[in-house]
Amino acid sequence: MKINGVAIEDTFAEAFTMRVARLLITGQTLGWAREAAVKLTGFATSVIGCKCEAGIERELPDGETPDGRPGVSVLFLTMDKASLPEQLIVRVGQTVLTCPTTACFDGLPDAPDRLPVGKALRVFGDGFQASKVIGGKRYWRIPVMEGEFLIEETFGMLKGVGGGNFLILARDADAALAAAEAAVAAMTGAPGVILPFPGGVVRSGSKVGSKRYSNMIATTNDAFDPTLKAVTQSQLPEGVNSVLEIVLDGTDGPSIEAAMRAGIRAACRPGVLTITAGNYGGKLGPHHFYLRKILG
Amino acid sequence: MSDAVTLILATQPTHTLVADCIAADRFAGLGATAIAALPVVHGGRPATLGEFFRVQGERASVVRIEGDCTRIDGIGTGMAEGELTIDGSVGRDLGLAMSGGRIDVRGNAGANAGGAPAGAARGMTGGEIVVRGSVGDEAGARMRRGLLVVTEDAGRGMGKGMIAGTVVLFGNAGPGTGRFLKRGSIVALGEVERPATFRYACTYRPPHVALLLRYLGSRCRLDVAAAQVTGRYERYSGDLAELGKGELLRWVGA
Repeated sequence: MKINGVAIEDTFAEAFTMRVARLLITGQTLGWAREAAVKLTGFATSVIGCKCEAGIERELPDGETPDGRPGVSVLFLTMDKASLPEQLIVRVGQTVLTCPTTACFDGLPDAPDRLPVGKALRVFGDGFQASKVIGGKRYWRIPVMEGEFLIEETFGMLKGVGGGNFLILARDADAALAAAEAAVAAMTGAPGVILPFPGGVVRSGSKVGSKRYSNMIATTNDAFDPTLKAVTQSQLPEGVNSVLEIVLDGTDGPSIEAAMRAGIRAACRPGVLTITAGNYGGKLGPHHFYLRKILG
Repeated sequence: MSDAVTLILATQPTHTLVADCIAADRFAGLGATAIAALPVVHGGRPATLGEFFRVQGERASVVRIEGDCTRIDGIGTGMAEGELTIDGSVGRDLGLAMSGGRIDVRGNAGANAGGAPAGAARGMTGGEIVVRGSVGDEAGARMRRGLLVVTEDAGRGMGKGMIAGTVVLFGNAGPGTGRFLKRGSIVALGEVERPATFRYACTYRPPHVALLLRYLGSRCRLDVAAAQVTGRYERYSGDLAELGKGELLRWVGA
């Protein structure tokens, strides 16, 4: 299978079940909402080192937010139920609570599993906090020097999907980067999907474990490193001199598939030789995204 | 079972009619005959609901009352869920000690709306009351939770002794508003006389008020000005003769 002359390998991306929450952060301006969201989702690229994965899903116009102010939607994922509230409480408390003008709302109101994030953060109010029930939902008003920080008492949690991916194998680094940027642009704002890595792109794809260091849970994906082609069992075709990976997390499989479809099509451009995907033989993750099926 | 129960006022009461049997959740399990047989008190004498109202529909927790119920007291007493709409004005004790559901009055309400029964410590403990008109004295008195919204003016002592909850008043408030308030919020969009035992804190844009007013605009279809949603409010803490954890929020413009 080829798209614009780019070979699509007959393989699949292997992804994992994660726990996901969606936060709606509003501010007096989109800029302030984004400031909070950027801090909240900072250092949240991979559960390997960050214990969570997070990113901005999309910007929200005034009419789409609970308080009628501009905002951003953020997806936040962890590997298990227990660590999601832990991460949210610490991060929201340090990044959204602290950011001028912001408020924080639940973006998964129908999810039956509820995380008591606002309920935990309310004690910052030192007894001066107050709650309000509006439309059946409880909110906490936490007094701060600026005025008040408003946060919903609980946030919904669903089973999500983490680790959707595809790899761009290109003739050179410039072509790989241009293709990755085009893919990210095509996927930005896709509902239910985030790209947790810097600019949505990963240059340091990893394999499980290490050939040399027993304490490492992940090390460089040498089979796809062009500089190691002569000394490892490389999986790179002839002519490939640079590889970049796109990792996708989301609320559900169909959302990730739709984003992968748009991203891969955008990445098929001059200088790109092959699109492939990372997997572990299908033994680790229950979600398999077959590239040719998605694009077919 | 029908989608809604409609009570049509067929015989205007000649004296005060206490109809505290009218509550949306109570009608959910009753047929039309049983609804008509519910007891009321007319001028101090026992009677039945069917002597005054024609009943249409049965076994529904969505209830509509048609007619001028100014002489009818206690509508919605103890209501726990469901929707009760009154196309007209009602007497005193609307939603007395209710704990859930929504009451929507397309007219005025008498005294003690959302309040407590005589001698009881707590008024309404949940739910929402929207009065698209004015209310009498001591509306929301001793309320513990819930929301009371009044689109026009209120009488004396609105929110008196409130324990918690929220009162929103679009019109002018009578004297003694918020007196003995322990917790809770009174949002005043019109003129209000601040009790001496309330102390000014600051002028700011309370985020929960924006959320609440947007909710009232979308869910209850109330006319809420954008300047009220995004506007500034003076915050008075009180009643300092009590706990002092309550607030009077007075809108001062955009």
